[in-house]
Amino acid sequence: MLGWEFPPIINGGLGVACHDLSAAMSDVSDITMIVPKSSKGYKVRNVNLLGINNIDPGSLEPGPAHKDLPFKLYGVPANIDPYYSEKQHFSGEGRSKGTLDPFDIDNLYGGDVIGKVHRYSAITASLAAKMDFDVIHAHDWMTMLAGMQIKARTGKPLVMHIHSLEVDRSGPESKGWVYQLEKKGMEYADLLMPVSNFTASNIEQYYGIHRNKMKIVHNGSNKVQPFKGQRTYREKTVLFVGRLTRQKGPEKFLDIASKVLDSNPEVRFVMAGTGDYMKSLLDQSSYQHIGNRFHMTGFLGSERLNHLLSISDVYCMPSVSEPFGLSAVEAAQFRVPCVISKQSGVAEVLRGALKFDFWDVDKAAGYILHLLKDDVFNRKVVEDTGKCLDKISWDISAQKIIDAYSEKKFI
Amino acid sequence: MTSMCFYFQVHQPFRLRNYSFFDIGKDHNYEDLEKNRAVMNKVAEKCYLPANRKMLELIRRHEGKFRISYSLSGTVIEQFEKYRPDVLQSFIDLANTGCVEFLGETYYHSLSFIHSRKEFKRQVEKHSAIIKKYFDQTPKIFRNTELIYNNQLAAFVESMGFKGVLCEGVGRLLNERSPNFLYRPVIGDPKIKLLLKNHLLSDDIAFRFSDKGWEQFPLTVDKFSEWVFKIAGHGETVNLFMDYETFGEHQWESTGIFDFLDHLPGAILKHPDFCFKTPSEVVEAYPARDVYDAHDFISWADTERDLSAWLSNSMQREAFRRIYSLEEEIRNCDDLQLTEDWEKMQTSDHFYYMCTKFWNDGDVHKYFSPYDSPYDAYMFFMNAFSDLECRLAEIRERKKRIYSYTVELEKTPEARSIPLNGNEPEYAQTGS
Repeated sequence: MLGWEFPPIINGGLGVACHDLSAAMSDVSDITMIVPKSSKGYKVRNVNLLGINNIDPGSLEPGPAHKDLPFKLYGVPANIDPYYSEKQHFSGEGRSKGTLDPFDIDNLYGGDVIGKVHRYSAITASLAAKMDFDVIHAHDWMTMLAGMQIKARTGKPLVMHIHSLEVDRSGPESKGWVYQLEKKGMEYADLLMPVSNFTASNIEQYYGIHRNKMKIVHNGSNKVQPFKGQRTYREKTVLFVGRLTRQKGPEKFLDIASKVLDSNPEVRFVMAGTGDYMKSLLDQSSYQHIGNRFHMTGFLGSERLNHLLSISDVYCMPSVSEPFGLSAVEAAQFRVPCVISKQSGVAEVLRGALKFDFWDVDKAAGYILHLLKDDVFNRKVVEDTGKCLDKISWDISAQKIIDAYSEKKFI
Repeated sequence: MTSMCFYFQVHQPFRLRNYSFFDIGKDHNYEDLEKNRAVMNKVAEKCYLPANRKMLELIRRHEGKFRISYSLSGTVIEQFEKYRPDVLQSFIDLANTGCVEFLGETYYHSLSFIHSRKEFKRQVEKHSAIIKKYFDQTPKIFRNTELIYNNQLAAFVESMGFKGVLCEGVGRLLNERSPNFLYRPVIGDPKIKLLLKNHLLSDDIAFRFSDKGWEQFPLTVDKFSEWVFKIAGHGETVNLFMDYETFGEHQWESTGIFDFLDHLPGAILKHPDFCFKTPSEVVEAYPARDVYDAHDFISWADTERDLSAWLSNSMQREAFRRIYSLEEEIRNCDDLQLTEDWEKMQTSDHFYYMCTKFWNDGDVHKYFSPYDSPYDAYMFFMNAFSDLECRLAEIRERKKRIYSYTVELEKTPEARSIPLNGNEPEYAQTGS
């Protein structure tokens, strides 16, 4: 299994998902997870965790790089940093000229990320060449090149787990290097595992790959012990959690807030997260005269985030394009009613949640207003959403993956 | 006889701390105590104490011929009381020479005139009271926060008894006329006179003194007094207005600013036609020669010399609008601490920190800001504001509870004998 961000380096949902999924799978199969960085003492259940920061690249035999790949990847700079960090510098392929360079893994998405992807794949391919395994399971574009190289060298079946696509992050027009890599990678793979129907449709629509090559595996979620926190102010609270980037629809949240406050001024809207939209959101919120009801907390650790969930009255996720949306499941676990966009994967599994098209601000505002004043309705939504939670587990996801392997006769 | 009129602004705000969303409703302390104390101590050592020592020495050396004026905001006086009584004492020593005038301003160095005359008047009176208390003078000349001024302000402070107002000599209003005369505002029949800042000569000292890129660098006393003497015959008062922190803080001691100050009065007084006057003396001595029509607000800030330093972007306007929206309720809440917290949040600096004019003047804003960005300044301010609102709401609830309990008592006369001992019926405890 090939991963990129991984605890203790977590930037977003991907690290958590890879961690939890590999842990669940390690109960029913032998898993070796290769990631750019891991702490030496860090253990994940029965997973054989390899951080290439702990491997001396000099001890590995360099592979033939891209020679065996049936296509060429052209170097075109792309907007690939899904997170809020410094601008990356582009470097083309061909960094590994007979030697394997170690690379700076402290900032997985900053700096020369494409160079990092190349080096990761070269090192990983050499590592895998000496291993015994049945299936290559790669997570998202950062590890696709590695997966392809391993397949090219070993002939083993390649499964690509799709947590997020370039078209989610940068919009359907993006056709840069990452998009090309994703497209070639998914075409070259033997089986795709998108995390939702929503993502499967995007793969079909924007990458032209047929559904029969896909097996949908919804994300699971770890059970949390919900608690009820003490609010220190009297207004009810509507919460947004996520990066403040285009993909998450933060400006929609602002418009919804404005609408809700028009009819009910006794509500506070809180955004937990950071990103390049922060400044314009503050500007807009003051322009719309809701500055006293619109709060930003910046990036929060899990303890503070749980506290925030425990005092929230509505969770709102207006994502423009959300492959899954684990944070909504977490909110549901805290018995917070969820108002989420239809353009999300989680909408397929949280059936009880209230759903709206991300552009339909009126509808979302209507739901929120109703949840805030109608206790019967509120309880019903929480109850119905709660019923879906039992079916959202990593063990179920793991079993689905194993079943798909056997169905395809990979194992 | 041409006079030179010095006025120095002395002000420090109560800076807000990084007040987060999680503090709302929980922590009612908004001030960055550490920061405020640290800045006060730094400026006291670098500027206030050495500059006051120098002024006192100059006044004594020139036997009363060197005369100056100050405007001290209420918030800086409070910080002197709290952190540096020695600085306050040194100002009192200056006041005792009889050569120093203290001007009137709003206690909280606020923008209140723009929003509420009532609040403005209250703050000016509060300020006059504290000046009287420490310096035994009642301000006769007014200067508004950062020289924010328009015709209405002149009319209003005239009605409050002031004899003169300080304002910026803005080129577009002077229209080639000289700032070195007294002017009168465009209002009915004004008695009040306007002293206009000579911004060229003032800024030569305040901003350009140590600017190595300036073609006149270095600025010597001889050169400066030569420029001043050129005014003889076509000017009556040269008004040099600046932040007091110019001496030792904006222009460090190593630039030679204190030496410059040391020699300037002697050089000016050598000329038989020049003297020093305080603003009140200037107003006494000369008539207003022409009208100065400030229909819109002007100020001494930034290159625009208008309100844009405080109220140009939406965040500034929202914060400003919100804080004044509470005025009436605050004034009726009978909670001294809450009232004071609200008053301190009116200080103009908070809005100045939120400014997003990122060109030349943006650097100046950044230099003074205790925050990483104008957005931070806005967020912390609005979070603190939310807490203020929560406290007000609590008071509102409490009043409602007491009221409904009283009403209930009225209904049941026999209950009047029951003392309030915490065993009141439930409606009286929770409200209904």
